[in-house]
Formats: sequence, C-alpha cells, structure tokens
Amino acid sequence: MFEPLSKIPVGMRYYFGAEARLRRSVEDTIMGVFDGWSYEEITTPCVDYLALFERGMGYEQAHRAFRFTDGDGRLLALRPDVTSSVARAAATLFAGRPRPLRFCYASPVFRQQPPSHAEWRRENKQLGCELIGVEGNHAEIELLLVATEILTTLNLRDEYRITLNSVEIFSGICEHLALDDLQRERMRQLVDKRDAAELQKFLACFGTTQTERDSFSRLIQLTGKAEILDEARRIITNPRSLNALNKLESLWGIIQALDMGSCFDIDLGDVSGLDYYTGLTCKIYVAGAGARVGSGGRYDNLTANFGRPEPAVGFVLDLDALIDVLMRKGKEAAGEFEKRESAALLDSDPATLFGEARRRRAGRERILINITQVKE
Amino acid sequence: MTGITIAMAKGRMQEEALQLLARAGVQVSPLALKSRRLAIEDESGAYRFVFVKPSDVPVYVEHGIADCGVVGRDVLLESGADLLQPLDLRIGYCRIAVAAREGDSRSAMGALRVATKYPNIAATHFGSRGVPVEIIQLSGSVELAPVLGLADCIVDLVETGRTLAENGLTIVEVITDSSARLVVNRASYQLKASAVSRLIEALKRGLDEGEPK
Repeated sequence: MFEPLSKIPVGMRYYFGAEARLRRSVEDTIMGVFDGWSYEEITTPCVDYLALFERGMGYEQAHRAFRFTDGDGRLLALRPDVTSSVARAAATLFAGRPRPLRFCYASPVFRQQPPSHAEWRRENKQLGCELIGVEGNHAEIELLLVATEILTTLNLRDEYRITLNSVEIFSGICEHLALDDLQRERMRQLVDKRDAAELQKFLACFGTTQTERDSFSRLIQLTGKAEILDEARRIITNPRSLNALNKLESLWGIIQALDMGSCFDIDLGDVSGLDYYTGLTCKIYVAGAGARVGSGGRYDNLTANFGRPEPAVGFVLDLDALIDVLMRKGKEAAGEFEKRESAALLDSDPATLFGEARRRRAGRERILINITQVKE
Repeated sequence: MTGITIAMAKGRMQEEALQLLARAGVQVSPLALKSRRLAIEDESGAYRFVFVKPSDVPVYVEHGIADCGVVGRDVLLESGADLLQPLDLRIGYCRIAVAAREGDSRSAMGALRVATKYPNIAATHFGSRGVPVEIIQLSGSVELAPVLGLADCIVDLVETGRTLAENGLTIVEVITDSSARLVVNRASYQLKASAVSRLIEALKRGLDEGEPK
C-alpha cells in the first residue's frame, strides 16, 4: 500500500505567486471596507463541536464537514461555517456588550463534500460580516451597501447582481398548505430547481386549483424588480407571506431611493441555502463565475440556540470564487500579471553584503540576495 | 452578457430537440448540422450550440461553460448536478425501470445484484426501500446481464420495451418517468435573466404549437 506522497487530496490546492498576492490584496481590500463600516475582526476556532454547526447550519449542511472525535468521544468538526460560531460568541462572550455588535472575518472553512460539482474545493476562504442586535430595514440596507461597496471596489461594478427574497414568503405558503417537514423540504427542492413541471404535480396533491398552480409556478421562475412583488400579491393571499412581501417592498423602496435598483433583483425562487435564515435572503452573482460568489440574510433565531435570542443579519463572500473571476479578468485585460523587480545583491563578503541588505531594507527596497554567488 | 450557449445532448433526442427549437424560432442551418463541427451558431447569432454526450450536458452547464442545456431527466437524476430545471420539453419520453427475467421471483432477503448504467438512481431507489443491493456498473447492453447470470435484475431506460422483450425480460417496477428538460446554470439564470426567459417563453410557445389539439 504505497500511495505516492506527491498526491494532493481532492479539493485542496496550493496558492502561489501572482495568485497568492491577488488573494492577499483582495482580502485586504474587503477587510478594509468592513473596517470602514466599523466592523471588528473576529477569529473563530478552527475546530469546534459538530453539535454547534448542526444547530447553526442545519443537520444536512453540518454533515458536509470533516468530522473527528475529541478525547471524551464527542464529535468535533473542522469549521464548515463561521456564522454559527460568531452567533455563539455574541450570545455568550459578548453578552454584556452594548448592541449592535459588528463583526467581520476572513477564515478558511472546510467541507468534506462540496455543495456542487462546480465548486470542487473543500477548503474555501470566507470573508463575511455579521450585524447583531438590530431589527428592520436599517441593518439590511447597511449590509447590502457594504456588499455593493466591496464589489464596486473590486471593479466588478457592472458585472454583479444581488438577488433578494424572504424565507417568510415560502414559509407562509407551506403553512397555508399545511405541509409537514418532509413535504416542505420536497417543495423547497422543486422551487429551488425552478422545476415547474414537477412542482405542478406536487401542488396538485394539496387542494390547489389549476390557476393557482400555473401562476405559482410562473412566479418562482421570474426574476425582476418591483413588478414581481405586485404579481406575487395577486397570487399569494396568506397573511404571513403578505407581511414578508410588504417588508421586501419597503426594502426595495430604499434601494431605489439610493439609486441602486440596477444591481438588485427580486427572485422569489431563491429558497436554497442554510436553515438559519428567518427573513431576508440575498445571493451574490458575478459574471464569469458559474456558481454564486456570496450569500447572506437575516437569521433572527440563531443566537437563541445559545440562550440569547436577538435579531441579526450577515453575508459572506467566497474569496476563491472571486479570485477565479478576477484572475480570468486580469489575464484578459493586461496579459500576464506583472513580474516584480528586486535589487539583486551580489557581493561575496558576508559583512558587506548583509550590511548593504540591511541599509536597503531600511529604505523599504525589495532586495534579492543572490546566494549562488556566495563562495565559502 | 447577452449571447447564450446551449449544451445539447447528442443522440436519442437531438433531432426532436432541434425541431422543438425550430418551432420556438431558433433555427440551426442543416448545413452546419451536417458538418462535423461540435460548436455552431443559430441563424440569428443569439445562440451558440455545443453538442456533447448526454452525461456531459450537466457538467458543462453546472460549470457555467454553457448557460443552458437540453438533456433527459434520467441523466439529471443520475448526475445529481446542482442545476435549475425550469421547463419540461415533453420530448424523449421514457421510463427508468427495474426489469428481470420473466418468471424470476426476486428474493426479498439477501443482497440483490443489480446491473445498470445508472448506479446512483439504482442505489437511491433500492436504498429507499431498504433492499440491500450489489450494484454492478455497466456501460452498455445492460439487458445481457440477467440473461448471462451477471445480475438478478437491471435498472435501465425503457422506451418501447422491445429490447427487454427480445431478451426475455419484463418490467418489475417503474422507478420514474423521464423526458427532456431545459436546464439552466444558476448564475446565468440571474445574470442573463432576460435572454434566458426569452428562450423559456419561446420554447413554451413552441411546445404549445407542437401539441396535438
């Protein structure tokens, strides 16, 4: 059983040279924007109890994690998500601090099974922020503005789209149809895939009329602006969904007042993602990336798991997906990335050589000691 | 961000799919089709077609290399690809079924040996019934396996049932129906929203026209 040591586990990779520099600079840019909005950096433990992530992300997502056992037999996981851990910190370590809390992070997350074939990596760097302790539009708009500022700063101004939805619209419909958990999950999958044909068959089992089925399956396929909300109101009548539609509409009003309507879409078919969202959800798409590059939303119940219920919003960007797009763009725009110059120091006398090196470094010059020229 | 690339499954339903597209107003010149080029444009230049093996369609679309694809539901179920499936194209109808030799009573206990080109569909199907199975993956002529004693039964596509009958096999159970689907990449669905919905609307009209009244 000799496996060659040269082999690298699937979904893992090295980063080097121009790509590594770009990763660092993009990370710095994004963390700089977070800092500009007064978000404080937090680093969560890389290893934590699996139970934390089960509570936070939901059972299915948490079980994508790499798992192992602690000395006492409890299951540990390599962090597959940062938000769960930040929520715990907010409810415990930061319980006494004044609200709102603003956290940001740049942390690798690990998943044994990636969510799709196109996302082959099993280690991803997540850049995200969380705003904890405020209800309503202000927190949500702040979040969306931070996201748009980041994407604009990365020169992706005309190439991104953020879609908005509210989990409550879907939840209201499920409640209205009196679906149990399994049925709800089945319907969620069909809506998520925009599978109108199968959705119609599914809805036929729940006493819906043909007209209702037709209009609902059309609704989940539409992506657009405010007119989507009007259309939705004609079809959806239950109070829970309507309440969510009203909230979404007032959010949309502010987006338009800020003249950002062109970067946003309402997408009532977006029901994928983590279990912890309770209201607004958003997904971030950038041209050139086959999968989404970021997501976020409102998760008002998460901190309750740790004994302190409070409202919260947050979003996360996938650094790896962003870098893929930027690397491709960079190559098209400017050919290869620039090679960086350094002053080569050749002198063979160590005292002179390193004296010179120290002097130039004091002037912040980039130097390269040419070791091969040094003779014993 | 306007042109749309469509990955088409070669073979079984390529002809029907192209006819449907033509009814939807997307014309591909017969000359280009006859050539051996694997990527061709339609006559308006708004769509680019790539012709690939059916099982590769979900791969191209999931990676966003193609924005849309036309492929059977059987292939989608087997691949488990994370794709949007907004439209049933109502062509390429077939069933995915369990078939065994006539008169063969499947033993309820012990591991069933299943030969198939669809190991994931087979595993999910028997798994949901709690039947232990040994899955033998083949890439063609699956009907031979029970005849030669390689497997107790098969999980395969059935269109007319003729191949089964000629090899002395009968359908034991239909797992699910399949037909061609329009699939769309998640990012393209948002970033090229108007072009994608134009295509969907055109195909819907094409479907209604083709429907016998």
